[in-house]
Amino acid sequence: MEMIGEFEYLILSSAARLGAQAYGASIRIEIEKATGRRCSIGALYTTLDRLEGKGFVDTWMGEPTRERGGRSKRLVQVTATGVKEASNFFRTISRISKGASWTTNRPTTR
Amino acid sequence: MDNEPTNYPMSSRKSWPIVLWLSGFLGQAEKEVVLGDLTEYGESGSRAIASVLGLVVRRKSAVFLDLRLWLAVALVVLPVSYLLSAIAESTAGEGAVYSWMYLNNWDWVLTRNPGFWHVLREMAMNFSITCFVLACWSWCAGFLIGRFPNAILQISRNTFIVLLAASFLVDAPTRFIHFWMFLHGLPLRPSLPDIHAPITANAFYHVFFPWIVLTILVVLPAFSGMRQGNRSSLFERKMRVVLVTAAIISVLIMLIQVPSFGLLLGAPVRQWMWRNRNAMQVPPLLCCWPMFYFIAIGVGRYGRCKAAITQCTR
Repeated sequence: MEMIGEFEYLILSSAARLGAQAYGASIRIEIEKATGRRCSIGALYTTLDRLEGKGFVDTWMGEPTRERGGRSKRLVQVTATGVKEASNFFRTISRISKGASWTTNRPTTR
Repeated sequence: MDNEPTNYPMSSRKSWPIVLWLSGFLGQAEKEVVLGDLTEYGESGSRAIASVLGLVVRRKSAVFLDLRLWLAVALVVLPVSYLLSAIAESTAGEGAVYSWMYLNNWDWVLTRNPGFWHVLREMAMNFSITCFVLACWSWCAGFLIGRFPNAILQISRNTFIVLLAASFLVDAPTRFIHFWMFLHGLPLRPSLPDIHAPITANAFYHVFFPWIVLTILVVLPAFSGMRQGNRSSLFERKMRVVLVTAAIISVLIMLIQVPSFGLLLGAPVRQWMWRNRNAMQVPPLLCCWPMFYFIAIGVGRYGRCKAAITQCTR
């Protein structure tokens, strides 16, 4: 099976961190905080669909809330397969990063 | 980030109506989720529009990457729209001649002639059957399209309408015959004087009448078929197989009715078809099965209503 992508990993990690509070807007805020870059709704929801299609997350509609103007959330939960894939991705990134200048603070560029 | 979320309520912003309009292109559940996210996040106006537009574009363009869509268009939508436009055109031509003859040239003196009534009756009968069979074919074609997966249904439906109109507009069947003759090195038919010149000179019969025929006998039945095809998922598997098979057979039978179809056959087959032209009138009548489908649906609905009323009155 091919490895998950960077953005997929960001979503899986955010959803795992947020736990029961993982839904579209909260995941988006987490990703923007962590990366310092804007996360578009289009990218977020199409990637969530892809992750759901692969069986890495489960999503369902939550109850409508007042702060959302009486609209529902799309709640997200990472599945066991999703956890496994995210762990594989993390281990791979950690392994490949060992010894790289940005992990050891050694200057390599001239 | 240059455009931070704000605390003003989304719904009071000028951009909100545009966001609402754009979100209408999304599915109902997704629309609710996205509007809720934007409200909660307090996205700025232009960012909210860009966000929703981005999602709509992604959703709409994703369907074009679906191989099923291209297969459906190539194997069903394109051939069926061509066939229906060809038959609708010949039906419209036939109808225009009869309408012009009887409506534009009505003469009360003729009504005293028994032969006039005999011919009128026969013509009305034949033309009604032609129209009814065309409507049934359109319904069957629509039914097949309606059975497509939901992901490609909307785009297939729109493509069908566009191709149907385009084929009708550019007179694709005639162009196909010319192209076929050119391809086989056959001399093009000499342009003969139009025997229906008085009819084609009339703007109503030349411009509007064919489109009226196309709308009433093709587009509306096809839409009804699509709706029924989509709803047929509720039927049992066996029933669905029977209905889809009947629709496929009907569409195949439609082939023999297309004026240019004979070109694709060998001379012996064409001769055989000509010799048995009376028998060839029968298969199209078999395509009237949607009538029985509606009767069965109606009877079933009546039975259910009656049972419900009986239960309520007890």
